[in-house]
Amino acid sequence: MKKQYISASILMILIGVICFVSGKNFLSLKDLGPIYPSESLTEVKMLSDYFDDIKGSNVDTEIYVFKGTTNGGKVLILGGTHGNEPSGYLSAITIIENIKVDVGEVFVIPYTNHSGMTHNDPQEASPQYLHIEAKNGLRTFRYGSRASNPIDQWPDPDVYIHASSGQQLSGSETRNINRAYPGKINGTPTEKAAFAITEMIKKEDINLTFDLHEASPEYPVINATVSHEKGMSIAANGMFEIQMKGIEMSLEPSPTNLHGLTHRELGDYTETIPLLMETANASQGRLRGKTNEELALTGKDDCYVKSANLGFLYVPYDEKGHPIEERVARHLQGIQEYIKAYNDEYPNKQIISNNIPTYEELFINAKEEELGGKQLGKFLY
Amino acid sequence: MKKIYLLVCISLLLFCIASCGSKNETANMDSKIRNNSEQLLNISLQEPFAEKPVLLTSVGQSADVEMVKQLLTRANIEFTMNALATKDDIKDNKTLVLAIGGSSKGLGAAGIDANQEIDRINNLITSAKSAGLSIIALHIGGEARRGELSDKFIAPSFENADYAIVVSNGDKDGFMQQLARNKSMPLALVNGMTDVMEPLEKAFK
Repeated sequence: MKKQYISASILMILIGVICFVSGKNFLSLKDLGPIYPSESLTEVKMLSDYFDDIKGSNVDTEIYVFKGTTNGGKVLILGGTHGNEPSGYLSAITIIENIKVDVGEVFVIPYTNHSGMTHNDPQEASPQYLHIEAKNGLRTFRYGSRASNPIDQWPDPDVYIHASSGQQLSGSETRNINRAYPGKINGTPTEKAAFAITEMIKKEDINLTFDLHEASPEYPVINATVSHEKGMSIAANGMFEIQMKGIEMSLEPSPTNLHGLTHRELGDYTETIPLLMETANASQGRLRGKTNEELALTGKDDCYVKSANLGFLYVPYDEKGHPIEERVARHLQGIQEYIKAYNDEYPNKQIISNNIPTYEELFINAKEEELGGKQLGKFLY
Repeated sequence: MKKIYLLVCISLLLFCIASCGSKNETANMDSKIRNNSEQLLNISLQEPFAEKPVLLTSVGQSADVEMVKQLLTRANIEFTMNALATKDDIKDNKTLVLAIGGSSKGLGAAGIDANQEIDRINNLITSAKSAGLSIIALHIGGEARRGELSDKFIAPSFENADYAIVVSNGDKDGFMQQLARNKSMPLALVNGMTDVMEPLEKAFK
């Protein structure tokens, strides 16, 4: 009898230790690490400044504002819409840490779905963190989830009904902020976050909005820009310059009958011109091999090389993979070219900034052994 | 009974061995297609033939029509664009430019399917030919604009065009070059979208 008490006590202590360690680990996922803004930073706002209802919640998120010395147009850059698409938020952070704005205003949200950054997708074997050696030491970034944290929003319904259109999607899309726009004032936390972003765009009178994404190499819309119809001429003009820089990218129209996405709803419900960009990320694909931090940063994957040889992919794929520098550089160059095209079309609402790394600086000029994080680290602090 | 099982097993084994062998055959076939495509001699455009103004339309409703619009603008070629142009849009235009490339999103946005798009294009081409318009076919989207959907739009356009410009990585199998050869149509094969401008300008008087 005495032995049983001892065994039970040991087991209870062990369970307690495991709960403590795993609980601490789970809570630590909420720490997204510091961001070191450039000297051009004007102020850091919170998304809840535009919709008080989300104040103090896990969907509230920081907005970095950079104002030029001269008034002009306003641009919003959304990174981290999906936490498992690292080039999105790493591009936003690279902009925050380097940009100098001369004319107009630049708003950057590095973690658009903040809640989605605080957990991983179950059964995906995703890495929890990405480590990059930056100028002032080792930086740790989170690798998050496509959806909001179930701690913040649970359970999912069997069918998700998009609030403003009635469109029906799989229940798991309930926590996907890029199916929730223009949002719902009294909706789920994800819908409220989308509502807050829509409110922000309206109140700040944002002219141009970028939503930075990644997609699996087997997904048809990849290495692409998706544009709302009102942004098509800017997108085409910018795309021409992107091609001139040697970047293969295709232009896709935003479908009018697919609701909840930035490139459709922000264009329909606000005055902004929304553009969404996609790069190729093997670590979120279904045909991937070993899933780890290295895959997310280098994109090197034998399974994807084989898949490319079998004609399964929509992007070229070889042993060099698609390193994070290439993916971030595509976004950064794209943003710069589309802003130039916007300036050409709207000369009275210029947005002029500098010091954002170019495709050439970040990717083309890099030595092969520096790709996979080291080269990107040269532009982070 | 045992003999039957043995026979079935041997048959399955032979079938598996035969299946394994098909990879090389496929590779050989691919190599033959590649060689054929390399051997194709494209006919160059000898002199300008097209007149302005231009009617620009999409064939397949991809956003490539917007890129062609940019090319025409940058080349200072007067044009009107209607991605869903019909015979009513021909008016006093002298040249019809077809931006070929299928997009399921684009077709969905236009509220039509691939067959309706092919019918529209066939009717437009018939009317354009009757009105004496020249026809230029542009396939500028490369590999991304090939495949089951996009390929449906290539033949109807090429079979009726007077001149074609193609971005080379969209024609690795030589499909479009072969269509051009079949009717002795001049075709310019270029490396990228940004190289389309020069052969396009050369087509206009």
